[in-house]
Amino acid sequence: MAKKIEKARPGTMKKVLGYIGKYKLLLPVSILLAVISVSLTLYIPTLIGEAIDLIAHINEPEVGSIDRITGVLIEAGLLIAVTAVAQWLMSTINNKISFGVVRDIRNDAFSKIETLPLSYVDRKAHGDVVSRVINDADQFAEGLLLGFTQLFTGVLTIIGTLAFMIYLNWVIAIVVFVLTPLSLFIARFIASRTYSMFKARSEYEGAATAYINEIVGNEKVVKAFSQEGKTLEKFANINAGLEKASLKAIFFSSLTNPTTRFVNSVVYAAVALVGALMAIPSVNSGAIVALVSVGELACLLSYANQYTKPFNEISGVLAEFQNSLACASRVFELIEEESEIPDKTDAVKLSGVEGNVSLKDVHFSYVPEKPLIEDLNLEVKPGMRVAIVGPTGCGKTTLINLLMRFYDVKEGSICVEGNDIRDVTRESLRESYGMVLQDTWLRAGTVRENIAMAKPEATDEEIIAAAKAAHAHSFIKRLKNGYDTVLGEGGEGLSQGQKQLLCITRIMLSLPPMLILDEATSSIDTRTEIRIQKAFLEMMEGRTSFIVAHRLSTIMGADLILVMKDGHIVESGNHKELLDKGGFYSTLYNSQFAH
Amino acid sequence: MKRLLKYLKSYKKECVLGPLFKMFEATLELIVPLVIAAIVDRGIGDGSTGFVIKASLFLLLLGAVGLGFSLTAQYFSAKAAVGFVGKLRYALFEKVGTLSYSDIDELGTSTLITRMTQDASKVQNGLNLALRLLLRSPFVVFGAMIMAFTVDAKSALTFAAVIPLLSIVVFGIMLITMPLYKKAQKGTDGLLSRTRENLSGVRVIRAFRQEDEEIEAFKGENDVLTAVQRRVGRISALMNPLTYVLINVAILLLIHTGAMQVKAGNLTQGQVVALYNYMSQILVELIKLANLIISITKALASASRIADVLDIVPTENMGTLTEGKNSDTSVEFRSVSLAYNGSSEPSLEDVSFVAKKGDTIGIIGGTGSGKSTLVNMIGAFYKATSGEVLVDGVEVSEYERDALRAKVGIVPQSAVLFNGTIRENLHWGNESATDEDILAAVRMAQAADVLEAKGGLDAMIEQGGKNLSGGQKQRLTIARALVRKPEILILDDSASALDYATDAALRASLREIGGDTTVFIVSQRASSIMHADKIIVLDDGQAVGIGAHDELLASCPVYREIYATQFSEVENG
Repeated sequence: MAKKIEKARPGTMKKVLGYIGKYKLLLPVSILLAVISVSLTLYIPTLIGEAIDLIAHINEPEVGSIDRITGVLIEAGLLIAVTAVAQWLMSTINNKISFGVVRDIRNDAFSKIETLPLSYVDRKAHGDVVSRVINDADQFAEGLLLGFTQLFTGVLTIIGTLAFMIYLNWVIAIVVFVLTPLSLFIARFIASRTYSMFKARSEYEGAATAYINEIVGNEKVVKAFSQEGKTLEKFANINAGLEKASLKAIFFSSLTNPTTRFVNSVVYAAVALVGALMAIPSVNSGAIVALVSVGELACLLSYANQYTKPFNEISGVLAEFQNSLACASRVFELIEEESEIPDKTDAVKLSGVEGNVSLKDVHFSYVPEKPLIEDLNLEVKPGMRVAIVGPTGCGKTTLINLLMRFYDVKEGSICVEGNDIRDVTRESLRESYGMVLQDTWLRAGTVRENIAMAKPEATDEEIIAAAKAAHAHSFIKRLKNGYDTVLGEGGEGLSQGQKQLLCITRIMLSLPPMLILDEATSSIDTRTEIRIQKAFLEMMEGRTSFIVAHRLSTIMGADLILVMKDGHIVESGNHKELLDKGGFYSTLYNSQFAH
Repeated sequence: MKRLLKYLKSYKKECVLGPLFKMFEATLELIVPLVIAAIVDRGIGDGSTGFVIKASLFLLLLGAVGLGFSLTAQYFSAKAAVGFVGKLRYALFEKVGTLSYSDIDELGTSTLITRMTQDASKVQNGLNLALRLLLRSPFVVFGAMIMAFTVDAKSALTFAAVIPLLSIVVFGIMLITMPLYKKAQKGTDGLLSRTRENLSGVRVIRAFRQEDEEIEAFKGENDVLTAVQRRVGRISALMNPLTYVLINVAILLLIHTGAMQVKAGNLTQGQVVALYNYMSQILVELIKLANLIISITKALASASRIADVLDIVPTENMGTLTEGKNSDTSVEFRSVSLAYNGSSEPSLEDVSFVAKKGDTIGIIGGTGSGKSTLVNMIGAFYKATSGEVLVDGVEVSEYERDALRAKVGIVPQSAVLFNGTIRENLHWGNESATDEDILAAVRMAQAADVLEAKGGLDAMIEQGGKNLSGGQKQRLTIARALVRKPEILILDDSASALDYATDAALRASLREIGGDTTVFIVSQRASSIMHADKIIVLDDGQAVGIGAHDELLASCPVYREIYATQFSEVENG
């Protein structure tokens, strides 16, 4: 209605048709059924009209007898049954097509997510992507279904009714035909008039929602400063404005319905008038004739009612359908997003990794105008521990992004065992690293499934051994069903520390030759933290490890410390060298750990 | 639920007039078939052109008067719905202001927000619809039936039979499909959380090469959802054909019995037409009613969610004292325990300590050890389950709410600022603070450069402080608490976004506040609290050590452990 309709991008309909193509055979059946049900729906009133006409002559034995009426009614009854079946089949088929199409689109969208470059995932608001896969797809399904069933049958009904009316009586048909666009016109007039009111309302609504979000979302702070009264006062103002705007918008927009209904009554009255006048028998060249029979009039009246209905609906459905295409185009935008650069066709599988990693003249930046890593050279030998330190938000994860090839270097190269990582398969590269991040990720499933993620063929003994090594066995044992305990989405039911231990167990089990670890800062209690620390140390034994480090002991034990600031690596060396240098590291060290 | 009705009270008139005018309109609609019958019998039957014209004009009049009634009804119901929901929103907002921290924790702010926005607007739509249509549709259905009886009782029996059947079909299908719709919603929620997880966990999924497994899992869930949706679709697709068959078969029966009656001379042809028209009206109204009931059920669910919030008895009960006793003790905990609602494990257990005026108290411990809980009890934001919390020698709940809180300046863990100028934000600390007071607080909070960068006290802060960095926000929230010149200053782990140099400078300037101000510093870093007069070490809600740094190093193993992980090798090296 007054809702502003976002336009779908050109070509969307074609893509939708592409998805519908899978149901090529069902589509014509659906159309055929629509034609059958609409034409029968229109034909049946004429039979009823006929029966009513027969009633008029019921006392004239040769024309009207109960038997003849019964005959007509039985015919109508059979057709009614056929219509109902056709209607139901059509809806069922449309259902099947719509939900199937949306399922396919959703699957494609989700599959796309798994191949999107990390830069896309990092840049885009996740809520927006989720809403494309879920909400937009849902709305599209609804709109498509509505479009199929109502738009199509609506148009057919209008055309059919007109045809039947012309067939029955062309004069009345013209009366109806002239009057009905009036209702469309009025609806449009009201819609355009109320648009500004709706805009005003949604502005107030936006302001109220924003204020509620801000205040209620931070109610604790409000209370801490005793601002309850003041905020309530301000809200009362916004609320009053919203009320006023809503009343106007709701009242004026609800004018459409009664007004079009009034137009319907005008049409109805006009048909009654013209029809009845023509039904009055007159003497014409000697014979008594009526231009319209009573049955036909009853029939025309019911058409007049039916005819205006789809008109009222269609404008609504059309808007809905357009909106659903806009939704579809948002989903398609995601599906057509560029995937990450695929592995080279001659990419080799990385094997026999001992832990030699070398970075040569590496340049990298997320955005071209803000260079981050410039000319970084690193030679990491098997078993070396590399600690990455720096203040929060200094870009410590950037290096991890490059090592795991979540992002590609802009210049230079990263080699593992002498192989440029762009020449090996991503799978084999990532298999060579064991990664434990601060934000733990567990999937819905049992503890066992979560541990065996990287090594599905692991035996129970292996899993338990890994859990013991990661100091996780004791808490897992105490869970309700031990290793078979089902975890909720995101590891619900476990503490942050326990989740972290599970993620470590996962790595303990597969024990890849190289490690990437992110030490937790805050969310873990002291005891668990010490356990995790121990597990980390055991794991790092003899493995090349890259650690985003927060603990002094880790940093001091590292063979190489990379000091980062504002995304740049500003210093590197071991603890002693860096302290002696008296640069950023030593200030950092002194302010954090000394005083 | 019933208590919501009181907000409707001031709209009594509207609530009566809305449906009433709607019924007037419906009554007019019920007259139409009678007019048509008259046209057939008297106009056409007797060949009276004059009568036909008069009757048609009458139809037109009915339509016009109906329009007037309808608009009146529309206005009253919109007014009642909008006004009612406005009052509800206000009541909710007011209620939220009276909730204690435990209440807020239990409910979660996001549900509170949803109730004030989405639920409120669903209730508005529902009430508006209900006032207009809830009475109208049954009125037309039964009205049509009664009118049919007045036309011809024998034929009208068909109506008496078909109306219950129709109701069974319409409401039966609704009853069957409603739980299925819920199931479909659950399926959608499942897909939603999987999609969200795959975005947030993208690194782990790719590191473990789980992409294909995730796609398979998604497809599986998607198939299940699609199957449910198709099943619901198939069942609800029965609605139209079934009602269509019922009504039309009834019409056929009607015409058949009508024909017999006409033959027997009990009925005219026009009356048969009228009966036919009534039957058609019933169908239209029943379908409308079914749709209406779906929207109203949704609105009722929203309404009961709103009522749940309004029904909460806030646990924040405060006294009337405005002044404490004169004593040199600022804060005292006497074997205080606190268990959150519904939790059997206490968050704080048997904590006792004394803070003298001018003391700096450090509180350290892991996450979930009860640090924030402890400091929030000073302002009576949480209430002790047992034991006593005293401020200036008086149990906190005996104070008048604002009097107690005026004594306390809190810098909360999350740095929250509000839409408005910097001055407005800092005035939250103290309404009557002068610009000099504010600037002094800003300097002390090391935030002078923030003012400079943003362009002074009149610079606008966007909602949620979006145009500030984490560190800038944190320093302004510290300034906000300092503007109050509080007797008790609480820094709840509020230096996390500051770099080490700023943090150190801040601590130095806080040491200079001096005087009678008691400072509580909550932190995970031993370095932030080690110079405090008294350190409280919390572990799992218990105070496992209270004392100065050196005492604790000697006597408290947990403190030693924390200190060791952060410092040991410095000491050794």
